[in-house]
Amino acid sequence: MNTETKTRKSTMVKAINQALDLGMEAFPEMFLIGEDIGEMGGDFGVTRKLWAKYGNERVRDTPLSEAAIIGTCVGAAMVGMRPVAEIMFADFLGECYDQIVNNAAKMHYMFDGQFKASLVIRTACGGGFGGGPHHSQSVEGWFLNVPGLVIVAPSNPADAKGLLLASIESDDPVLFLEHKALYRSKGEVPEGYYTTPLGTAAVARAGTDVTVVATMRMVPFALEAAEMLAGKGVSVEVVDLRTIRPYDADTVIESVRRTGRAVVANEAPGIGGLGSELSARISQDCFHQLAGPVVRVDGADTPIPFSDELEHLVLPGTDHIVSAIRRAMTQPDRGA
Amino acid sequence: MDESTLSSLYSDMWLIRAFEQGLESEFEKGNVPGMLHTGLGQEATQAALAANLEATDAYFPDHRCHGINALAQQRHRGDGRRIMAELFGRSTGVCSGKGGSLHSADPRAGNYGDNAIEGSYMATVLGVALAAKMRGEPKVACAIIGDGTVGRGEFHESLNMSAIWELPTLYACVNNGYAIFTPVGKGHASANIIDLARGYGFPCEQVDGNDIEAAHAAVLRACDHIRGGKGPYFLEFMTWRWQGLFTGEFRPPDEVRYWREEHDAILMAGARLKEMGWTDDDLEKVEGEARDIIESWIEFAKESPPPDPAKATADVYAGFEVSPS
Repeated sequence: MNTETKTRKSTMVKAINQALDLGMEAFPEMFLIGEDIGEMGGDFGVTRKLWAKYGNERVRDTPLSEAAIIGTCVGAAMVGMRPVAEIMFADFLGECYDQIVNNAAKMHYMFDGQFKASLVIRTACGGGFGGGPHHSQSVEGWFLNVPGLVIVAPSNPADAKGLLLASIESDDPVLFLEHKALYRSKGEVPEGYYTTPLGTAAVARAGTDVTVVATMRMVPFALEAAEMLAGKGVSVEVVDLRTIRPYDADTVIESVRRTGRAVVANEAPGIGGLGSELSARISQDCFHQLAGPVVRVDGADTPIPFSDELEHLVLPGTDHIVSAIRRAMTQPDRGA
Repeated sequence: MDESTLSSLYSDMWLIRAFEQGLESEFEKGNVPGMLHTGLGQEATQAALAANLEATDAYFPDHRCHGINALAQQRHRGDGRRIMAELFGRSTGVCSGKGGSLHSADPRAGNYGDNAIEGSYMATVLGVALAAKMRGEPKVACAIIGDGTVGRGEFHESLNMSAIWELPTLYACVNNGYAIFTPVGKGHASANIIDLARGYGFPCEQVDGNDIEAAHAAVLRACDHIRGGKGPYFLEFMTWRWQGLFTGEFRPPDEVRYWREEHDAILMAGARLKEMGWTDDDLEKVEGEARDIIESWIEFAKESPPPDPAKATADVYAGFEVSPS
């Protein structure tokens, strides 16, 4: 990213909205499709004002038919369009799971490269909002095992904009996860059109004692934890994965080999998810540099309860990451 | 129907039957990998669709559509052998052997790919139709489905969205009486699928799927309607599949006899041609030509090399490389 570029403070909702607007300007073959994304501007206001600018044809409202929404995107992509769908809540992806897993992700492979599933599925995920069991889930684990699918998970407004434009440009199907608790978070966002490359992690904070690998909402929590521990003499490196599939193993491995300690933080339940994958990969590729086992921070192995008093018991936060880092720091220094 | 059109469709039907019977014989010998679902008995429906769909149209075939795929490949790309080779899993197949019977595609022949998740492409077809409408292209986007697919939610989502968006969608529902083992009337609220489709408010027709003249005329009417920008069209073809279950025949003998001996598409079309002056020798000549063609296609498939091993990890992503494990 050019450091000369002018920036403006913006929420993640506005940054994503800008990316959609710039994409629609740049690509005549791009269109938006979803439930109440038109005149209403989407349930979280992400597509606000785009209907007025681009009209019914390119900002297309649909019935409650998630399978047909994604099927429409797949079919349109097969003939060279660049559809961007909004699935209102990630929890609804079950309704179109087949379209994503069996069509979008396999199209290019099974038909020997004759079709490109150049589509983006934007969806609001994650908890912390009192959304209850069907409006709060972190769904990346549902899709991690699907070759052909790209999964993008930004943690801040500037990345959200650049990653979304890169997703729109991509000829692969992209599941673009937008954490609801980050929608109103603010950050400096470069003006104009730019892309942030898919499949590359970012070092959100450099450090020397321990690496925390995090995604989405866990990134600001990890940065907060790093700041708290900096005062206690612990230097924490935070790696923001940004793309979950295919993920940037090189950056993760390089960091952990250097620091010798690893914490892996994600909001989803731990079994069979991103935390499992990262821990396994780090253990495999950094075994001789690690001072001790990878320490994991995951969501509880439960659905997400409604009541605030219960919900905060099952979702990880800054405190969990601080404890995890402290545990990692009790491992003896191997002087790598 | 004039003699030359009927004669051409009669040849097409024989090509389908010879294709499927040749394939079945090779499958029994263990030369065709995987599973086999044939379109035997449904030749008229398939020939009627294939004759009316252009290379610039888009159709999504079902798992019994080898015949349509072969006709489209032959007509639009000049080489039907590549469908046979795909079913043998060979490098010369339309998908280099990566798709097989259930996933063969060539968009330049109008073939947008089979899908082994029955009815999944009822949703996909919407996108092809919508893109055509947005671009002002006079394309027919056709989903060929069986009666069993009507149980899928996408069937209803698709008909609804085609209706509200007035899409150029042709639904070709091949009602062959059974979803594997379950009779259509037991699996759905009506044994006539058209009853379920009518509520969406666009033209629906039920036709004898074994009467090539009626089937061809119906497809032509539907395509004219769609190309004229008048929105979607639903056709239900009443037909019957020869293939029973892998465990054998399970349907009543009278039913089997009726469809195979009294109401067979090729026998009925042959009788019509004889009324027009054809002899038994004329009819047999068509059958013989079809069997010779298919024999040569099977030879081609068997002699073709297997896919390049690099294909196993190629094209997982358009923008990222995947290494073998």
